[in-house]
Order: sequence, then C-alpha cells, then structure tokens
Amino acid sequence: MHALIQGLILGVLTGGVYALMASGQTLIFGIMKVVNLAQGAFVIASAYLAFTLFTRFGIDPFLAVLITTPLMFCIGAAGQWLFLRPLRRENAAELSLLVTFALALLIEGILSVTYSTTYRSINTGYANKSFEVAGYTVSAVRLYGFLLSIALLGLLYGVLQKTRFGRAIRATVQNPQSAALLGVDATRVQAYGFGLGISTAAASGSIFGLLYPFQSGSHYDLISRLLSVVVLGGLGSIGGAVLAGIAIGVVSSVAAVLWSPTWSEMSFFVVLLLVLLVRPQGMFGRVERGAV
Amino acid sequence: MTTAINADGQRKPPLLEIDDVVAGYGAGVILKGVKLVLHRGDVMCLIGPNGAGKSTVLKTVSGLLRPKDGAVRLEGEDVTTEAPKAKLRRGVVHVPQERSLFPGMTVWDNLLMGGYLMRNNKILHARIDEAAQMFPIITSRRSAHAGSLSGGEQKQVELARTLLFDPKLILLDEPSIGLDPKSRRLVFDAIRSLAAAGRTILLVEQNARSGLAASDQGAVLESGLVRLTGPAAHLLGDPEVARLYLGASQHARPSNNAPALSSALAAVAAPTPQEELT
Repeated sequence: MHALIQGLILGVLTGGVYALMASGQTLIFGIMKVVNLAQGAFVIASAYLAFTLFTRFGIDPFLAVLITTPLMFCIGAAGQWLFLRPLRRENAAELSLLVTFALALLIEGILSVTYSTTYRSINTGYANKSFEVAGYTVSAVRLYGFLLSIALLGLLYGVLQKTRFGRAIRATVQNPQSAALLGVDATRVQAYGFGLGISTAAASGSIFGLLYPFQSGSHYDLISRLLSVVVLGGLGSIGGAVLAGIAIGVVSSVAAVLWSPTWSEMSFFVVLLLVLLVRPQGMFGRVERGAV
Repeated sequence: MTTAINADGQRKPPLLEIDDVVAGYGAGVILKGVKLVLHRGDVMCLIGPNGAGKSTVLKTVSGLLRPKDGAVRLEGEDVTTEAPKAKLRRGVVHVPQERSLFPGMTVWDNLLMGGYLMRNNKILHARIDEAAQMFPIITSRRSAHAGSLSGGEQKQVELARTLLFDPKLILLDEPSIGLDPKSRRLVFDAIRSLAAAGRTILLVEQNARSGLAASDQGAVLESGLVRLTGPAAHLLGDPEVARLYLGASQHARPSNNAPALSSALAAVAAPTPQEELT
C-alpha cells in the first residue's frame, strides 16, 4: 500500500509535466489542425538551452524558464511563418506532418552538431534533494517541476480565457470564417498560436533535463508519449490533455510499482488503446472540431 | 432601374453601388454583371431562386469573394478588391447564413469578439449597452454559452454583435433560415427595428414575402443577373413577381394569379419569357 501511494505521488508529479508539454501540442492542433511532430524536439532543445545556461552562466534551470519561454515563443512563431504558412490550404494537414517531422530532424541535427550525441544531465545542488511527508518521499525537482507546470498551465488558461489574443484563438478554433469576418487575422493567430504552443516546451525542457539524462535523439521517445497523451485527452482539448497527462503519469508509475518498470513504458500505450476502443475521439475530444 | 427614390421623395447619395459585377468560384461564373444601388438608411431585400447568386452578391460586397470584373463602390469609393478586414473598418458587416457565433464561448465573449478591432474598451462597452436596448438577450443570457441558445436567440446575438461596429452597411444572408416561426418573427422584428434605427441593410431572404415586408427596396436576382428592382411594397403587390418568386400565396386553391408553390418553382427553374416585368 505504501508503495502504491508512493507511486501515485510520483505519477501525479510526473503527469503534471506531461500535461504541460501536451497542452502546447494540443493547442497547436486545435488552432491549425497540425499534428506537431516537432514538439518533443523543442522540449529537448529547451533542455539543452537550460543545460547551457546552467553550466555556462550558472542560471538555475527553473529561472532559465524566464529566458527560454519567450525565446521558444519566437522560434515557434517564426517556424510557423517560415515552414507551415506557405503550405497550400487544401493539403496542409497532411503536408504539415512531413514538415513538422522535418523540423524535428533539423532540430535534432543542430543539437547533435552543437552538443554531440552523448547523454547530458543537469546536476543542480538540489538534484537529489527530497522531502519526507508523512512517510512518503517527494523529490524536490519533481515537486518544483509539478508546481511550475501547474502555474504555467494556469497562465495558459488565463491567456486563452481572459485576453483579447486568447479570445481570438478560441474564436478561430471554433469558427474560423466567422472570426475572419470579425477582423481576426488568421495568419497572425496561427503564427502566435504556434509560438504559444511551442513556448510550453521551454519549461518542460528545463524540468525534463533535471529529471532525466537526455541527448539529441531523446525526442522520438518523448513525442510518442506526447501523442498518446494528446490523443487520449482528445485532440484539441487542453483540459483533456491535462487530465490525460496526469492519468498516464499515474498509470505508468503505478504499473512500475505493482509489476515492473518494463510495464511502465508499455502502460502508456495500453491505456491509450483501451480508451480509444471505447471513445475513439479521446476522453474529451469532440467528434468534429477541436475545442479549447 | 437602379436609382432608388426614398419614401419621402428625396434622392440620397448612394451608399453602395454594385456595378456590373462578375464573380464566381474557380473558373465558374455565378454573377454575370450584377448592378445594384443601395441608399443610406434603406433596407433592400434580394430575392430569387436557389443558385441565383444572392449570397454571392453579399460575399463580393464584404470582400469574401473578389469580383472577376466590375466594381463595388462604397460612398463613391472603389473598394472592389479590399479584403474583409478593410471592409469591416469601413463599417461593412457581413452576417453569414451559417451560424456565426462561437458556440463554446459565452454570449459576452462573443460580443467582445465583435469588438475585436476596437481598441477602445469604453466605446465598446457603451455600444454593447446600446445594443442591449434593442436586444435585451445579450445581457439576460450574458454568461450562457452561445451554443446553448435557441436558433432565434443566436440570430439576435449575431445582430446585436453587428451593432458594435456601428455599421454603415449590414449584410444579412438568410437570417431566418432554419428557424421556427416564433424565432423567425423575432428576427424580422429585429430587422425592422434596425431599419427604424436608420441602419442600411442588404438582406438575402429565401422567405421572400417576409423579407420584402421588412424592407424598403426589393431586387429580384435570377441566373446571376438583376431582373428587377423597385420599392418592396411594389414588388410584393406585383402579381407576376408573386407568381414567379414569392411562391405559395395565402390562397388555399391556386388561382390564375397565384399558382401553387411547386409550379412557381418549376417556372423559376426553367428560363421564362417574363424578364421584363416592369
């Protein structure tokens, strides 16, 4: 029982980080129907950035988020403008898969050349610190990462619900023609929306880099998990992505405790398959249109 | 005849001139040289059979579709090639036939989207208050999701939203389509109140009788050409127009002047010699 609850705590903390990563991905899908295969690569790139900022300048990875988040936003917006905007509208959905995959390979290539392919990890003073709460161990990095993720998810929610830009994004998701008739510039919303989605990779990258050793090819494993989370939650649904992220985090760490760490990896996909058998649109997906 | 004389007999400067507009999608041509003039403060109803190009006329005016030939002028200025956003800044608001609200957003957020281009919140809120006097629903259902409103209520919110632009010209595409009779009445009442408030409206209506009844001017569009224009009351009273375009009349039995709907539609579908109705 103790092990189970310990696994549960670990799962929720890890799940929160997946939720943050996946929220950006699902937002991008909601806005432009693009399955962004480069989301994992942006997370890994952010991890490297946090690594450099820490080793070269001594900036704490959690503080580095203040630098990497706006940077990732700009890179995302520019990437959308350069690579996705020129696609012809009729087959943009299919072509964008190839384009974002190419983008992932490009990022991987740049990282391999810059950092070589050896595994790196960010070793802060508190990397191995943990708290004891009622007999359970809570790793400091995981707790901070979880809190940061929740705070950023709250911020993302606030931006979408309360700001003019957020309203324009939601309006474009729900009724693009009508949004255009009210003066919303779809091109701009898509570029900034993509930037916003990518910017969630910044903080996730810092946390990922603190938790796990990583190298330039780590994004393949990450993207397959992110896709599971996003599909499980329902493509385009941010609330769904958050719950799916936490659900999958819990299932995999509980599986690791109850059976074996091997099952932990598999459990991601088992849960996904089971849910899709019952609800093909995901937990919170709508059948026709993404919802933010 | 393209110059409209107002009810009080005064000639007003034209707000909108559509001059020999040719337009269509891809290589196809739907409008084959449409000519229309709309004066400030007038409500004009475009009627005609399905596929005549009524909605296409609205799209060329709002900029959703760029004409292949001809000109669209607003207050004498050529705006033919302007994009929807530029037209919006000029005060041309298009309410498309499809539901144009954002179903997952509250009525209030939908209204704020109406003020998207407006940077001054004070003016926006003042206009929302103003619109609420004509459409109280926007305050009574302010926190409801737009998708949860009935069709007629949604149309009211859409019409209220157009007022936030302080529009010079409102383009309404089939506002009564798919509504139950009660909602339809609400919508035509709303159009009449907009007209009474001095708004200029170009209206497309399949429900020609109610549309004309709510309008000052009428125009009959057929196969991409304007066949006839004139005061709405005049068109409503014209037995030929009634026979060809107004379809089912109040008569239970078809008389000479009012054949049943099916034969009227058949008459419209086939090119008829009745083109010079004036």
